[in-house]
Amino acid sequence: MLELLGHQLLTGLFRSSYYWLIASGLTLIFGVTRVVNFAHAAFFVLGGYIALTVDILTGNFWLSVATSTIAVGLLGMAVERGLVKPLYRVESLYQLLITFAVTLIINDASKLIWGAASRSMKIPAELALPVKIAGRSYPLFFFFIIATAVAVFILLYIVLEKTFWGLKVKSTWRDVSMAQALRINTGRIYTTTFFIGSLLAGFGGACMVAFTPVAPGLGDSLIITAFIIVVIAGLGNLIGAYVSSILIGVAESLFLLYLPELDILLIFVIMAVVLLVRPWGLFGEK
Amino acid sequence: MKRINYKYMLISLDDMATASRRSFLGTIASGVVGLAVGAGLGWGLRSPETKEVTITRERTVTAGGGERTVVSTVTSTVPGPTVTKQVTAVKTLPKDTIKIGILGIRSGPWATYGTLIEQGATLAMEEINAAGGILGSKVSLVIRDEAADVVKQARELVEAEKVDFLVGVDSSGNAMKVGPLMSELNRILIVTHAATHRFTEELVYKQKTKQLFRVSVPVYQDGILSAYVAKDLPVKKWAGINPDYEYGRVSWQFFRETLSKLRSDVEFVSEQFNKSPGTTDFSPFLSAALGADAEGIFSVNWALEAVTMHRQMKSLGVYDQVGAVINPMGYSMDVVYELGHEYPTAMHGTWVSGRYVWFYPKTPINERFVENFRKRWGRYPAYSSETTYTALYMLKAALETTGSLDLDALVQAMEDMVILSPAGARWIRPEDHQAIYDVPYGKITHSGGEIPLLTDLVTRSGWEYYRSPPF
Repeated sequence: MLELLGHQLLTGLFRSSYYWLIASGLTLIFGVTRVVNFAHAAFFVLGGYIALTVDILTGNFWLSVATSTIAVGLLGMAVERGLVKPLYRVESLYQLLITFAVTLIINDASKLIWGAASRSMKIPAELALPVKIAGRSYPLFFFFIIATAVAVFILLYIVLEKTFWGLKVKSTWRDVSMAQALRINTGRIYTTTFFIGSLLAGFGGACMVAFTPVAPGLGDSLIITAFIIVVIAGLGNLIGAYVSSILIGVAESLFLLYLPELDILLIFVIMAVVLLVRPWGLFGEK
Repeated sequence: MKRINYKYMLISLDDMATASRRSFLGTIASGVVGLAVGAGLGWGLRSPETKEVTITRERTVTAGGGERTVVSTVTSTVPGPTVTKQVTAVKTLPKDTIKIGILGIRSGPWATYGTLIEQGATLAMEEINAAGGILGSKVSLVIRDEAADVVKQARELVEAEKVDFLVGVDSSGNAMKVGPLMSELNRILIVTHAATHRFTEELVYKQKTKQLFRVSVPVYQDGILSAYVAKDLPVKKWAGINPDYEYGRVSWQFFRETLSKLRSDVEFVSEQFNKSPGTTDFSPFLSAALGADAEGIFSVNWALEAVTMHRQMKSLGVYDQVGAVINPMGYSMDVVYELGHEYPTAMHGTWVSGRYVWFYPKTPINERFVENFRKRWGRYPAYSSETTYTALYMLKAALETTGSLDLDALVQAMEDMVILSPAGARWIRPEDHQAIYDVPYGKITHSGGEIPLLTDLVTRSGWEYYRSPPF
């Protein structure tokens, strides 16, 4: 019984880490720029596409992850500079619309480039090693993703909380005009944030494609879960997003075992309750 | 020619009630032979290129208000000795172009299925037009994305594009949305993929929506025939991981019901439904199935989710722990090409099927279809390509019988129709407008070549496992 629970917790933790790899960039971008980046999950899936292409060409998983991370990061930066920046002054609805447009463009472009059918790749040999735990075998990849998620969390925490740049980011987030008055180049902060956020999407997508095949438009279903996680945490709250990723991932996994009928509903119920009781999110500020 | 086919089929039907299975199959076989003879000339599917026949037709065409007689010479290639005969044909269609609206999913994670439908439709259209069209009228296609509000698309196809027929529909949900609309739009819709039994059982049989037909297999294939596969496997504890909508729920229900009837010692130890589309991580589902000590996994996940599930089952060692896996749509070409030689196999087999399997049956019609399809699209035909291809030929046959676009006459021509198609002889059951034909299950086997093959085929006559009226 305990073993069963343990296995379910482990798969839940894996799922949480997967969610976090999407939610981290999303909440970072929103926290700083207040842009709800609808295209974030499309970037994530694009990261997967780029990675499997590089993997086919070079056969090197790590190189494919690196290429994809940088490529998607740069793309995110270009989107911010070219499309989102002119819209900072207008209603946030327009920013949502432009990122939605980017999503559609990415979806159809990937259909043109990689075809409408799903694409997948194998877990690289070094990460496919089976790890035996209580009678079941998990690929090393499983633990790699969980560890990567923790690493991303720690890294983001250090950058935002322990560096001077992080301080500037936080002041921009608190009060843009005051930050500008203090001669903080908020435009550059915004662009850099978009770059880092998209970088995370490219990185996450590249890592996950070895486990989860991609198809055009896959991001549309991922973004909803990611949004919910970020909303439950409180939009823009990084620590909260990590905790709520774990909450949702593990809860989903456990519900599958004991109350499978309620599993799909679960995430929406949690969101509804949180929004009713604490509309600013579990970890957000009022 | 049609009358001959029809008679043969009726004989076999009458026999079925009393005769043993062997003699029944024998009758079917003789019926099929009879059909094959009849098919060469009477039915649209082009025959092997053996001899050349020149037919001079004298046709009465009604065009521009006045009647005139046109003499045209059509040279076509059919088997048999060369004959030249005068045929006086009076049938023509009132339009120069027969427009067919094609509905398929063209965006999102299932977009590849729209392409598969489109490929089958395009090949049939090209063949028909190259062979002189339907009674001289050309066929043209208008293709729309059913994922962009199927009701709106169907309306636009009929009202703005003025299509004469609708063909396709991938999603069961969409089929149920668009089906009831057809009596209002007064167009025939032939479904070539969506599988919910409710489409034919409820909309056609119970609600008498005469405009609806289906040439592809319903969930009887996914839920009922799969149980016949399962009953012979050394697996007693089954777990289900199915997409959480109509198709997944119904298939699982049929599978459970049928298998429980066929075998009393089976248990259904775990029952999971995954979000679809959009499940990217199956690990908690698989963990729960293993936790319930499942020996076999039944899943009707398809397209992207089938690829994801098979890969993750392999990565998580599920394939080493369970004895057998049944995935009814697992031999869909998108899944087969994507998994390729890494398509995992369980100890007692990974059992898959489709709505048509490209190498079955081994008939000249099928071989020619596969060859032409490969020539045109560079791949083995997917099931929905075959069903859509057949649907177009079915319309051709109906139009050639009626010589008009009168809906009642066309419906009458299609009811009880027997059409020899790549997937074998299909009979359109008059009560529910469902095509009855056989599609096998098989075990994924790697034997080199472009894609994995199926062995140990489980073939059963559609008559045996289709549900039959009254529903």
